[in-house]
Amino acid sequence: MGSIVLDKVQKKFGDVEVIPPLDLEINDGEFVVFVGPSGCGKSTLLRMIAGLEDLTAGKVNIDDKDVTEVSPAKRGLSMVFQSYALYPHMTVRKNIAFPMRMAKIPQDVQDAKIEAAAKSLNLADYLDRKPGQLSGGQRQRVAIGRAIVREPSAFLFDEPLSNLDAALRVGMRLEIMELHTKLKTTMIYVTHDQVEAMTMADKIVVLQAGVIEQVGSPLELYHTPRNKFVAGFIGSPKMNLIEGEEAAKHDATTIGIRPEHVSVSKTEGTWKGTVGVAEHLGSDTFIHVHNTGLDTGEGDLFTVRISGDIAVSHGDTVYLTPDMDQLHRFDAQGLRIA
Amino acid sequence: MANRTIPRLLQTPAVLLLLFWMIVPLAMTLFYSFIRYVLNSTVRPEWTTPSWSNWRGFGNYEFVMNSKDFILAIKNSLFIVGSILTLTVVLGVMIAVLINRSFPGRGVVRVLLISPFFVMPAVNAVLWINMLLDPVLGLQGIAISAINDMAAGMQDAPLVGWFFNLWPVLEPISFRATQTSAIAVIMMVTWQWTPFAVLIFMTSLQSEDQQQKEAAVLDGASRWSQFRFLTLPHLGRPMAIVVMIQAIFHLSLYAEIEIVSRGNGNKNLPYLIGEFTNNNIGAASATGIFAVILANIVAIFLLRAVGKTLME
Repeated sequence: MGSIVLDKVQKKFGDVEVIPPLDLEINDGEFVVFVGPSGCGKSTLLRMIAGLEDLTAGKVNIDDKDVTEVSPAKRGLSMVFQSYALYPHMTVRKNIAFPMRMAKIPQDVQDAKIEAAAKSLNLADYLDRKPGQLSGGQRQRVAIGRAIVREPSAFLFDEPLSNLDAALRVGMRLEIMELHTKLKTTMIYVTHDQVEAMTMADKIVVLQAGVIEQVGSPLELYHTPRNKFVAGFIGSPKMNLIEGEEAAKHDATTIGIRPEHVSVSKTEGTWKGTVGVAEHLGSDTFIHVHNTGLDTGEGDLFTVRISGDIAVSHGDTVYLTPDMDQLHRFDAQGLRIA
Repeated sequence: MANRTIPRLLQTPAVLLLLFWMIVPLAMTLFYSFIRYVLNSTVRPEWTTPSWSNWRGFGNYEFVMNSKDFILAIKNSLFIVGSILTLTVVLGVMIAVLINRSFPGRGVVRVLLISPFFVMPAVNAVLWINMLLDPVLGLQGIAISAINDMAAGMQDAPLVGWFFNLWPVLEPISFRATQTSAIAVIMMVTWQWTPFAVLIFMTSLQSEDQQQKEAAVLDGASRWSQFRFLTLPHLGRPMAIVVMIQAIFHLSLYAEIEIVSRGNGNKNLPYLIGEFTNNNIGAASATGIFAVILANIVAIFLLRAVGKTLME
């Protein structure tokens, strides 16, 4: 069990409204990712669910019970922090045992649970070490182990991979996803990394300035972003947003085309431009095209992503042809035109 | 090789200076402790100049160990240092945790808390023994006689008179007496040094990881458990520092003991050295060597104890 319903929750720090009243429903067993730029209130929202921040108004319901006034420990949620928040002077074993020790669970049950958690997280060899003697990835696994043994109704992850290097991050991402398939427990995951959001989530919640911009599956957000912000935020490299004359041709204030939905030719195409930087990744090439004559906003930059390699260099003239089926149109309010 | 010689040569003066700084006094103390050396003797004038011909072997040590105040001095040294350390650490942690929360006027309170540390030891002792602890003129005497007067005045009152008749007449305690002068020293030094402990613990508390505390809250830890399992171990190292530094200072307490009772019933090793120095330099030096040994034992013992109990 672990369905969480936020009912008009609101958070103010003094006079500053960080999160205007907000509704959200999270179903049992779902992997939900809160994503948004820094300072959008996603961590605050998570901490409000955990009970670490008081609500200014509204209600938090877990499994149809109002837990707004319930203490964090009694909400049955486990949290994994960005800084791991391990207890530095306790061994890994004692760290994992800590929540059970606080709940006064019998020692033999504790030992069994620690063994099980250590085995599933590959920590068996490190149980008697202290956190200071572990690598970042191992520490994060200990933090996850400490969260698992409580058998919570939901896991809360607060940017758990931000302190890891890129290679470890990919590995831990997979481990957390596997954990989710195995435990089938609700997980709420906060990140500013849209790649993590896209790869892990069943449901993504895009936040900006405390407001939910869109809720949906990763592919829904990719294919039908509800507004300009979501369109620009989801997808890497960013979607090209074009305004002015070219947009008017399509009866829109703004049109958007993703870099991967544009083909490049050296001889002919819809739009013409000069190559700035070309980033060759081997599997893909990102080409930054300038002087397209399109109103792409500040910097006059149009990004194209093509698979494989293409022989272009700085200053070359290229022609761009967008895939019209993949064109996104937005009205004056920035909302999607169906 | 050549490029190492020059740096070593350049270091030599500093190393030599430090070496002399430590070795010379220690060597002289050792030397004096093995010879007969007194400042004034009409019977044996040759003892008044230090010389190898006055060799006494372990005679001075034997003399010191057999003197009537030696065991008292060692016991008292340990009693005073142990009590002060316990009290300052316990009070220090309590006050530091208390003022670590935010409340109006916190800055002022912190400055006021630190201020006892700026009082000179002798002034501290004079103030305490004369103005606070004096059984007649001090705050203690005034307070106790006021309580006694009040109880006496109420004895004839209707209804509640019987209750005050049950009260005993309180006797003020003289802190210059043989049995209590060590207590007076402990009180005044604790008052003076608690701020030092508070200061160190407070800075340490401010570096405590807040996410760890939040994790503990979610793990179901009560306030007490958070303190016991997170804050106290976090304070382990600063506690070791406070204990070490204070042990060094308080093993050499002198002014307070002199002012409270002139050593009456309350001597420690430095005070004993001071008494011997009136004439018998040989015995004073031997006591000094005992003090060095005691300080080392205390240091090793304390470091072990503090380290083990807190690091879990």
